[in-house]
Amino acid sequence: METRQPDSPITSDELMRYLDGEMGPEESSRVDSALERSTELQRELALFRSLKTDIQGLHFHPATYRVSVWDRVNDHVNRPIGWVLIVAGLVIWMTYGAYVFATSAISPWEKLATGAIAIGILMLFASVIWERYREWETDPYKDVYR
Amino acid sequence: MQRQLELELIRKCKSGQSRFYEPLVRAYEPAGLRLALAMMGNMDDAQDALQMAFIKTYDTLPRFDLRRPFGPWFFQILRNQCRDMLRSRKAKFNVEALGERVDQHPADSDRSPERVRQRSAAKELLWRGLERIGAEHREILVLKELEGFRYAEIAQILEIPEGTVASRLYHARNALREALVRLDAEYP
Repeated sequence: METRQPDSPITSDELMRYLDGEMGPEESSRVDSALERSTELQRELALFRSLKTDIQGLHFHPATYRVSVWDRVNDHVNRPIGWVLIVAGLVIWMTYGAYVFATSAISPWEKLATGAIAIGILMLFASVIWERYREWETDPYKDVYR
Repeated sequence: MQRQLELELIRKCKSGQSRFYEPLVRAYEPAGLRLALAMMGNMDDAQDALQMAFIKTYDTLPRFDLRRPFGPWFFQILRNQCRDMLRSRKAKFNVEALGERVDQHPADSDRSPERVRQRSAAKELLWRGLERIGAEHREILVLKELEGFRYAEIAQILEIPEGTVASRLYHARNALREALVRLDAEYP
C-alpha cells in the first residue's frame, strides 16, 4: 500500500477503513492525529459512526420467521434420485413385459393389435410428458414451491 | 459453524450424500434471509431467492474449491440470485412488510409507550432511507453492518476489488445520509 505523508489529508476511503477497523496501527495513528487537528473530520466520523450504530441496531431478523426453506430445497436435491429410480424400474419392467409378450404362444394378429395399442398409448403418454417438460423448462418460477 | 465441520459436510455433499446438506442450509439460513430481505424488501421474495440460492449452491458444489470459505461463496450466489430476480420479476424493495422487520429485541430496555413509539418511528425512518438508496448500496451496508463481513470477504461476495469496498461503503453511507436528510431526519 502506498505510504502517505503523516499530515496529508484523510481521504473518504481511509475514513471508512478507520471506522470499520480495517487499518493497521500506523495508518490508524495517522488518522488519530488528523482527528485531533480537525473538528470537521471529527464531525464527519461521528456522523458515520452514528449511522453505523443505527443500522446495526435494526436487526433484519424477521419477527415472524416462517418455516425453514430446507423442505423445499430438499425436494429439489433428492428429486432427481427418485426420478432415476422410477424410470430405471419402468424400463426394466417394460422390457421384461415386451419380451414375455413377444415370446408368448398367442396368435401374431393378437400380438400385432395389442402391440399397436400399447405403442399408441406410450406415444400419447410421451408427448404429454414432453409438453409438460417444455412448459417447465420455460417457467421462470420452476424452482419456487409455494 | 466450525470450519472443519463445514468442510466435512461439503465433502460428503460433493460425494453425493445429499442428507449432509441440511446442516449447511440451517446454519446459513438466518444470515441468508437477512441479506435476501435487505435486497428484496419483502419476505416472500426473500424466501424464494434464498431457496433458489441454496439449490444453485448444491448444484454447483462439485465445482466448489474446498480451500475457499463456504460463507462468502454462498452469499455471492445468493446476491446474484436476488439481483436476477429483481431484474426479471421487476420485484421492488418495499416497506410493506415493515412490521415483520422491526426489531423485536431492542437493546434499549426502556419499554414505556413513548420510548417504544420513538424507537419504532426512528427505525421506520431508517427503513425508508434504506428503501430509497437502491439495492447496490443496501447490499453492501447489510454485508458490513449486519453480517459483519471484513472488506476482503465483501470484495469476494460482490466480485469487486478489495480496494473498492471502502469507496462503495462511503457512497452507500453517504446516500443513506442524504436520503435521511430528505426524510427530515436529524442527520446533518
